[in-house]
Amino acid sequence: MTHKSLNYEERDGVAFITLNRPDGNRINVQMVSDLTDVCDRLEDDSDASHVVLQGSNGVFSNGVDFSDFHPDKPMDIHGFNKWEKICRRLERLPKTTVALVDGPAIGGGFQLLLTCDLRLATERASFQMPEVHMGFLPGMATFRLSKYVGLGRAKRMMLTAEVVDAQSAYELGIIDRIDTKEAALAWADEALGPKHSVAVELARRLLNESYGDSWEDAVGHFLAAQHRAISQTAFLETLRNQKK
Amino acid sequence: MNSQHARILSVGTANPPTQYEQKKIPDLFGVEDPRIRSLFSSSHIQRRNLYLPEPTGNGVPLETQTELIEKHKAGALEMGVQAIEKALDSAGLSPQEIDYFCCITTSGFLCPGLTAILMKHMGFREDCSRADIVGMGCNAALNGLNPVASWAVANPGKNALMACIEVNSAAYVFDESLRTAIVNSLFGDGSAAIAIRAEPLESKQGPQLFGFNSHIITPAIGAMRFDWDSDAGKWSFFLDRDIPYVVGANAEKPVNRLLKAHGLKRRDITHWLVHSGGKKVIDAVKYNIGLSAHDVRHTTSVLRDHGNISSASVLFSYQRLLEEGAIRTGDWAIMMTMGPGSTIETALLKW
Repeated sequence: MTHKSLNYEERDGVAFITLNRPDGNRINVQMVSDLTDVCDRLEDDSDASHVVLQGSNGVFSNGVDFSDFHPDKPMDIHGFNKWEKICRRLERLPKTTVALVDGPAIGGGFQLLLTCDLRLATERASFQMPEVHMGFLPGMATFRLSKYVGLGRAKRMMLTAEVVDAQSAYELGIIDRIDTKEAALAWADEALGPKHSVAVELARRLLNESYGDSWEDAVGHFLAAQHRAISQTAFLETLRNQKK
Repeated sequence: MNSQHARILSVGTANPPTQYEQKKIPDLFGVEDPRIRSLFSSSHIQRRNLYLPEPTGNGVPLETQTELIEKHKAGALEMGVQAIEKALDSAGLSPQEIDYFCCITTSGFLCPGLTAILMKHMGFREDCSRADIVGMGCNAALNGLNPVASWAVANPGKNALMACIEVNSAAYVFDESLRTAIVNSLFGDGSAAIAIRAEPLESKQGPQLFGFNSHIITPAIGAMRFDWDSDAGKWSFFLDRDIPYVVGANAEKPVNRLLKAHGLKRRDITHWLVHSGGKKVIDAVKYNIGLSAHDVRHTTSVLRDHGNISSASVLFSYQRLLEEGAIRTGDWAIMMTMGPGSTIETALLKW
């Protein structure tokens, strides 16, 4: 399944989304549209157990493609809205998502990997949010980043636009493992275990909501979600296996 | 597919004139049991409009079953009429122009029913057809809307009116039990009416009703029911504590069937109008269908401001969606209601 801005393939039960634009996989309207197609496929018609999101040619993504913007024309906020919607869809896919960063992840590229359940890196990965230094905002990384690294570190990364190497990103909690691409993916496949999609989806949703809810609301949400989880085949199979 | 769909032309809502702050109700009526008082302290319902007797400072004034039926009728003649007048005004119609009239209620049994009483009171034509849907509970707006929409399609250009009139305070029993306290702390009084007409496709007046799907969960037939309480001499409503989970476990089924029948995916639905059944029921729907807090914002705000107003609830949410002004041509919406049976009803709308 080839798109103009990315490649999509399913191999050995894993869906690979490979950003692929000649200018360092910069994010443009086409890529948002292609990611939307891919999300449709993953939601409707895919047997893949999990999804790997990666870049090509030694770059994860160099961020927004500014050729879609024109200083002499009115700015279009709706494009940003579409970007946030696709980030949200990736964040809520009914499959576990793994970002594999090999090379720079800048701006929108950094934003993208924060939507993934696991984030892996090679030694040459680097991370930067330069948007504020360019006079705009790093999307809803303003919402997500501090949940990974804490408010102080998130402020520092956004306001100084510092470049963070793979080891520092690991120590900050942005990255879960540093390894070669192959070894990192093999580790993720094994570590993620049976990948029960409903349990994954619900656990991830409750975690994402845990910063905003009161305990009283959260426990209600948990019970509703837990009832859904324990009614699924996956949990019933676990029970049957326990009884053997 | 029929060349004309029924369209909802307008909506009107009304409530009793007296609004009660939820947290103050136990003090107002001298309720001291801490278990019952705690039911009124939840933030999910902050206020309700109710037809309650004047507090005497000596417990809850007794209302006989006869007085409760009279209250049901009087409430219909007040807030029921107001909701209908608003819906008719908004559609530019008079009672004389209505060809089919459907009334929905679960808060009292009258014979002749509310349609006859309101037609006499408001001056409908003598050849206006009518139907009363009584006792179907919170889901009943969609049990009514389904045949009303079919009637409209079978009679293009003619006007139908549907009113949900729920004087739930006429179904209260005060016996100091948790069972009745749960009901008394949840349900509010309210009415909602909509005008419906089949219009040509090019018409832009209101959303088209594209289809319906129902789901009955017969093993849970006793989970929501009216029982005759011979000690109190009144009908008493019972809500099983497992209702949210029963609803949640089945919520996807009618939604998926409805979407599949029309070649749609869940992501194609822009607006969700879910019955304001209670916090746990709303949570169950959210986490089983994958809806966000934003998706159910009208559902939760109607619950906060009115409590559960049974069949009228979903139309109050519909009115808030219209008032928000965020609807665009081509948007799809799903209405979803749940109640005794146990039943989940769904409807598909398109602007």
